[in-house]
Amino acid sequence: MIQAILVFNNHGKPRLVRFYQRFPEEIQQQIVRETFHLVLKRDDNICNFLEGGSLIGGSDYKLIYRHYATLYFVFCVDSSESELGILDLIQVFVETLDKCFENVCELDLIFHMDKVHYILQEVVMGGMVLETNMNEIVAQIEAQNRLEKSEGQGLG
Amino acid sequence: KSKEAEIKRINKELANIRSKFKGDKALDGYSKKKYVCKLLFIFLLGHDIDFGHMEAVNLLSSNKYTEKQIGYLFISVLVNSNSELIRLINNAIKNDLASRNPTFMCLALHCIANVGSREMGEAFAADIPRILVAGDSMDSVKQSAALCLLRLYKASPDLVPMGEWTARVVHLLNDQHMGVVTAAVSLITCLCKKNPDDFKTCISLAVSRLSRIVSSASTDLQDYTYYFVPAPWLSVKLLRLLQSYPPPEDAAVKGRLVECLETVLNKAQEPPKSKKVQHSNAKNAILFETISLIIHYDSEPNLLVRACNQLGQFLQHRETNLRYLALESMCTLASSEFSHEAVKTHIDTVINALKTERDVSVRQRAADLLYAMCDRSNAKQIVSEMLRYLETADYAIREEIVLKVAILAEKYAVDYSWYVDTILNLIRIAGDYVSEEVWYRVLQIVTNRDDVQGYAAKTVFEALQAPACHENMVKVGGYILGEFGNLIAGDPRSSPPVQFSLLHSKFHLCSVATRALLLSTYIKFINLFPETKATIQGVLRAGSQLRNADVELQQRAVEYLTLSSVASTDVLATVLEEMPPFPERESSILAKLKRKKGPGAASALDDGRRDPSSNDINGGVEPTPSTVSTPSPSADLLGLRAAPPPAAPPASAGAGNLLVDVFDGPAAQPSLGPTPEEAFLSELEPPAPESPMALLADPVPAAEPGADWHPGHPAPLPLPPRFVCKNNGVLFENQLLQIGVKSEFRQNLGRMYLFYGNKTSVQFQNFSPTVVHPGDLQTHILSGLGQPPTKRVAAQVDGGAQVQQVLNIECLRDFLTPPLLSVRFRYGGAPQALTLKLPVTINKFFQPTEMAAQDFFQRWKQLSLPQQEAQKIFKANHPMDAEVTKAKLLGFGSALLDNVDPNPENFVGAGIIQTKALQVGCLLRLEPNAQAQMYRLTLRTSKEPVSRHLCELLAQQF
Repeated sequence: MIQAILVFNNHGKPRLVRFYQRFPEEIQQQIVRETFHLVLKRDDNICNFLEGGSLIGGSDYKLIYRHYATLYFVFCVDSSESELGILDLIQVFVETLDKCFENVCELDLIFHMDKVHYILQEVVMGGMVLETNMNEIVAQIEAQNRLEKSEGQGLG
Repeated sequence: KSKEAEIKRINKELANIRSKFKGDKALDGYSKKKYVCKLLFIFLLGHDIDFGHMEAVNLLSSNKYTEKQIGYLFISVLVNSNSELIRLINNAIKNDLASRNPTFMCLALHCIANVGSREMGEAFAADIPRILVAGDSMDSVKQSAALCLLRLYKASPDLVPMGEWTARVVHLLNDQHMGVVTAAVSLITCLCKKNPDDFKTCISLAVSRLSRIVSSASTDLQDYTYYFVPAPWLSVKLLRLLQSYPPPEDAAVKGRLVECLETVLNKAQEPPKSKKVQHSNAKNAILFETISLIIHYDSEPNLLVRACNQLGQFLQHRETNLRYLALESMCTLASSEFSHEAVKTHIDTVINALKTERDVSVRQRAADLLYAMCDRSNAKQIVSEMLRYLETADYAIREEIVLKVAILAEKYAVDYSWYVDTILNLIRIAGDYVSEEVWYRVLQIVTNRDDVQGYAAKTVFEALQAPACHENMVKVGGYILGEFGNLIAGDPRSSPPVQFSLLHSKFHLCSVATRALLLSTYIKFINLFPETKATIQGVLRAGSQLRNADVELQQRAVEYLTLSSVASTDVLATVLEEMPPFPERESSILAKLKRKKGPGAASALDDGRRDPSSNDINGGVEPTPSTVSTPSPSADLLGLRAAPPPAAPPASAGAGNLLVDVFDGPAAQPSLGPTPEEAFLSELEPPAPESPMALLADPVPAAEPGADWHPGHPAPLPLPPRFVCKNNGVLFENQLLQIGVKSEFRQNLGRMYLFYGNKTSVQFQNFSPTVVHPGDLQTHILSGLGQPPTKRVAAQVDGGAQVQQVLNIECLRDFLTPPLLSVRFRYGGAPQALTLKLPVTINKFFQPTEMAAQDFFQRWKQLSLPQQEAQKIFKANHPMDAEVTKAKLLGFGSALLDNVDPNPENFVGAGIIQTKALQVGCLLRLEPNAQAQMYRLTLRTSKEPVSRHLCELLAQQF
């Protein structure tokens, strides 16, 4: 199961934070900070897995992360997930964002935070992998966009 | 942009949104959406959001998709436990689930899964299986329903009823839609852990599904083909599911599966279809899962060896991820008898990885693998490589490496001189990381094996010659020379006076614990080498010992000195005889390593245990004036030895402790435990139950459960007074269990997180913490155990693990006694029970109230009936520090009012106690008198019992 999905930029500013296990707010923020420091000090071309921090998990948990340009995507998962599978899932998520926003960049995550959440919800639900087929995900998002448009006109 | 500017900006925005929400003008859907979205963003930036939930509930109840969507999103990110709100949300979810609109149904299912609380489970767990297997449900709804059910099952398995739907879930494995199959496999993998027989039919379905994917050309599965790999996630999940079962019994199914596994292994050798890393990732994800399944079956030697060779290739791969995973998989492969030898052939590669990998995660895996592949044939090589690595190892993993080296050295020692050398090397290289368990163990082994004692004495003597040696070396050296120094005394280079002056040259640089140990060594020297008696007595007599500020050292010096001058040589020889052998048992180091492997939280407990001061408390070294001045220790000793009283009265028990301590475990009395330090003792040698030591050292294995630990209905332990003013901390701790608490209170509601840490290396069984409301307390305060969404408090708590429990509390009316927490479990077969008072006192529901001086006095006068006032005059138990007092009063919950009392030394406070039934206004005044070291505390509230109760609670604090 995925405990948490954290996206932050190279300076540790959170851009997307989703917890699938309840933590009090201040612990959530500590986890984000701790994770950032754990990930930041690692070189770019070493492995994408590291043993979890002290706040989240323990030895059964791993942080699996990828670094794209200005953003780190970190998934905190337990041993029931395949490491490489999650690594690919991050890729699917990012490629989907890229399709939906046409060349996604950090600003898209800030200005379309709700959209980003909706896209994530099509990929991961309650900490479980929901859908891995990019076309399916994009189709869902497009359907949402159509609904949004039709409602917008209704208000007209 | 500075931090302050950001906070200012955000506060302004929050105020703006708040006023919009509160405004008279009804907001249209668009603005509501906009503001709710803004709140989400502010929350993301790390600011608390305590409003907007109501607006979100309005949105999610709307008929418009976009409004519903953001409403649900807000609620799933910012879950709130307000019961009224949850009722509204559940209502909306219910409507959406019944709406037959698949988009709405999916949103509702997402929300249930994302919140995943027990309350959600109670409301919906029964409905979801129906939606999942209904013939007319859309694929996307089925997919969401499967995962939603999985999430609820993980959070509260008892809420999900098994039934005829389970058979139909298995058949979802045949579904057309790959997304549905993937979700169903996840669900079944979890459900079948508890009910393997109910889901047994899934094996053949999973195998045939897998076989179709593996043998398909990459284009057959179109959209589910990821970078030329057909359905990698589904394959991985199917392989995981199969790992829940033993190899298929049906020969045809098994044949088909083996074929699949071989195909995957074959494909690994084919040239890649794409250069992209995604392609190889997906392919290897399947490969690693295949290897895990092969290892899990552990029955196909041919496949195991192929798997091992494949991993061997990965060990040299240029992708760091693959090297990491290969080392990790090989670790499990090493324990299979079929592949152990094959794994061993990679030893040089692994050692090389340990030396040259740039990534600490990978080096750690290499160290683990070396540990796993070690056996008698390669132990010397592996241990020496690990020792060499230790010199440059990352600090974070040094301790673990030290433990592993110590275990391997012991396990595979052919001659024990090698073992002794290895441990001394460990101390030399990484002394700071050598925990007590490690050096205790070397002493145990040296004591038990007389063939190595002379060598050990010689080696430590040489090691101590180094100008700077680690304190742990002094401890080991001091202990061994005290026992076996005579074996090397014949050599003039290590004659008794030389040994003594060598040890004593280190004495002044050592910590108290080590100095205490050295004093015991000295008294042993007096017995071993009578010629050193005068010198040693001189040392003991020195003012720096006899009047040492540390009671432990002072006590030892006084008593050793008296012993050496009062006791005859015979008595001395008996008392100070060489230690008897230790009984064989599982290495305490192994236990420690297992504990270390537990969840990270447990390491905090470990730290606590290692802390010397807490050892002192555990060890019960509590020298009272009477024991220090025991006039004739030897007389007492003899009495004690003649007839150890089964339950010594406290006074003589105290003396017993002291004497055991002093006389360093006489051989005639092995049950008294042989070592100078109680902590040491409780690690090595749990005394027999009848020993008076049990009262003091409180050994770990339930030899003599302490007073707090008799099974049955123990009386509740008193609430530590500090919890009146504090919400967080360690509520309870003994040798087995630590209970930490974190709580927050708002208005008349509270939420408490309880953390149960298993401090042992053994699993607790039937672990059940429950809340008890004695008397009619339930009518005053409602507290129920809510389960956090993912982790129910499991019936088992693994050694070293920590589990969490959430308690929701509602104060209905004022109350006097806190609710009780009753914890029961079995430890090593013995039932354990304890009852604690929960740190819920009436003052937790204080809401501080600010008021001006005149208001205060007016109200003070209004509460002038005699029964409304409670007053106490008491002596200060703590130093009278105004700042500390202030902090305590604030922690107590009331507001502190400045410039009210004409005397600035006094403290005045006001607050309202919030209960559901009524509010109780409280005023308080605390007048310290520094000369007399006294306080006068006055409370006035509108309810008589509350005044008295608050007064009592607060008075304990100063």
